[in-house]
Amino acid sequence: MNITAASKGTQPKPIVEKETLLDIRNLKTYYPVKGGFLKRTIGHVKAVDDISFEIKKGETLGLVGESGCGKSTTGRTILRLLKPTDGQILFEGKDITAISGTELRRARQDFQMVFQDPYASLNPTQSVGDIISEPIRNYKKISKKELKSEVLDLLSRVGLPAEAYDKYGHEFSGGQRQRIGIARALALKPKLIIADEPVSALDVSVQSQVLNLLKELQDEFDLTYLFIAHDLSVVKHMSDRIGVMYLGNMVEIATNDSLYEEPLHPYTQALISAIPEADPKKRKKRIILEGDVPSPQNPPSGCPFHTRCPMAKEECSQIKPALKEVKPGHHVACILY
Amino acid sequence: MVNVTAETGSQQEKTINMSPFAIARRKFLRNKLAMISTFFLFAIIIVSFLAPYITTQDIAKVNIGSMSLEPGGEHFLGTDKSGRDVFTRLLYGGRVSLLVGISCTALVILFGTLIGSMAGYYGGIVDSVLMRFTDFILNFPFLVFVIVLNTILFGLVSGLWVLIGVISLLYWGGVARIVRSKILAEKENEYILAAVSIGCKPSKVIIKHLLPNVLSTIIVQATILFASLLVIESALGFLGIGVPQTIPSWGNMLSSSQEADVLRNKPWIWMPPAIILTVTILAINFIGEGLKDAFNPKSNR
Repeated sequence: MNITAASKGTQPKPIVEKETLLDIRNLKTYYPVKGGFLKRTIGHVKAVDDISFEIKKGETLGLVGESGCGKSTTGRTILRLLKPTDGQILFEGKDITAISGTELRRARQDFQMVFQDPYASLNPTQSVGDIISEPIRNYKKISKKELKSEVLDLLSRVGLPAEAYDKYGHEFSGGQRQRIGIARALALKPKLIIADEPVSALDVSVQSQVLNLLKELQDEFDLTYLFIAHDLSVVKHMSDRIGVMYLGNMVEIATNDSLYEEPLHPYTQALISAIPEADPKKRKKRIILEGDVPSPQNPPSGCPFHTRCPMAKEECSQIKPALKEVKPGHHVACILY
Repeated sequence: MVNVTAETGSQQEKTINMSPFAIARRKFLRNKLAMISTFFLFAIIIVSFLAPYITTQDIAKVNIGSMSLEPGGEHFLGTDKSGRDVFTRLLYGGRVSLLVGISCTALVILFGTLIGSMAGYYGGIVDSVLMRFTDFILNFPFLVFVIVLNTILFGLVSGLWVLIGVISLLYWGGVARIVRSKILAEKENEYILAAVSIGCKPSKVIIKHLLPNVLSTIIVQATILFASLLVIESALGFLGIGVPQTIPSWGNMLSSSQEADVLRNKPWIWMPPAIILTVTILAINFIGEGLKDAFNPKSNR
């Protein structure tokens, strides 16, 4: 650190390791389960159960896992759309876990979200111009003319015609609506964008257009993405690093290549063996997992995956393995390593 | 990106760029029955509120010389048992009945929407407290309370406004419940999360994002309420506990039919308010029906 600080004066652009934008420490988000006569809390759904990771500036972290494993909850908790039960969310070193009210609203300028369902994420009573200009109006006082030119600029950046300005959401296709959602997220020039399965509701042909748009915008606006998806090939296309989640836990986190070439966690291995291959002659071993995902309300003791793991040992049901770095940049939470 | 532009270009027609409300308005304007009813209702409202310019008869003056006259001649619809002109009273009565109906509807919708949207949006303890309060209000025996409150407040405020206040105070519970349930369903949509994440305050999320999307329900509810409040006003008038007798209303004009003689032999005294009340309520219901169709995205009538 001292060296870089000292060299800053002489060199205009020192080569430093990218700084951390988002740091998640031991994050937990539990949903209370109410029941009984008096609607008392009788248990918790442990949607996110103690996960830690960090995202560097300018990188894309992919987050994969099957449905219900807590990917979306993680994303929404980081944006403080849900209240974390425990843990810390540090954004540019500032703790945003406990802030609320005006302070939280001010902080929200820096992190935005692209939502999963392009049909439900646009208010049907607002025109496109209104939707995209609203975030700007919430934070800045600028003239109508400036506002409109800014919105038109955003529209062209996401590849929509200027005529879209006066139209309503229902007049667009799914892909176009997602572009509107992206323009809305970009309007405040945020540093972090959490994309919560942004393409899973779209046609395959439109998916690639939207993904490429997201990549272009990343370069243009210097964005950092947390990219949530369940489609492994989509995540591979988008991400620099990938985190694999299972039952509210992060089981493996590694760089893109490292994860796909050499998956370490048995769950990741099973996931990657399930990616369909375009070549029919190529036969590969498919790992079929047995049983169902256990209920997050009552997760198994020890390693969350031990009930379905083909390599489970006796101690797996007792010891909950922590994430550890097995190779440089490759972390895995498994007793085998 | 080029093909996206081309795609929207080919879709372009004259009918686009319409908000959901503009679409509903067009559907409503094409609905004949609803449009006729709207014109009728507006005609009634205008004629009633222009009453002082249409007739010059005194509404309150008892005229012993012309009691219970049959329609025709000087008195277009005859006179009642106190010798007052029925037509004049009908016009002035409409003024009062419609005023009670419209202001009660406005107050009930306002208060019900306020309570319902707060309960629905905030949830949790706010929801519990507000909804238990609503249940409490809904449990009041309406008629008894109207009579009691009317009696207590009488003299403190002008008679008509006492009635409006009392009805509104006791009637908002149903609207609050409906609005709450609609808001509960609507707030699960991702655009509400989006509104929060782009920095909207809770008040703005409710007013700008939630209410416009439940407005169709509220409007339809308002028409039903308007009709039922007219019925309530006339029912109270008929029982003699509504608007004070010195002010004519359609309701208290009907109360004269309590007498067997009037009911059997002098239909001109009670038939006009009964008919106009029925037709008005019918018209309001047709309008409500038309609005419901217009706001329903699945209907193309």
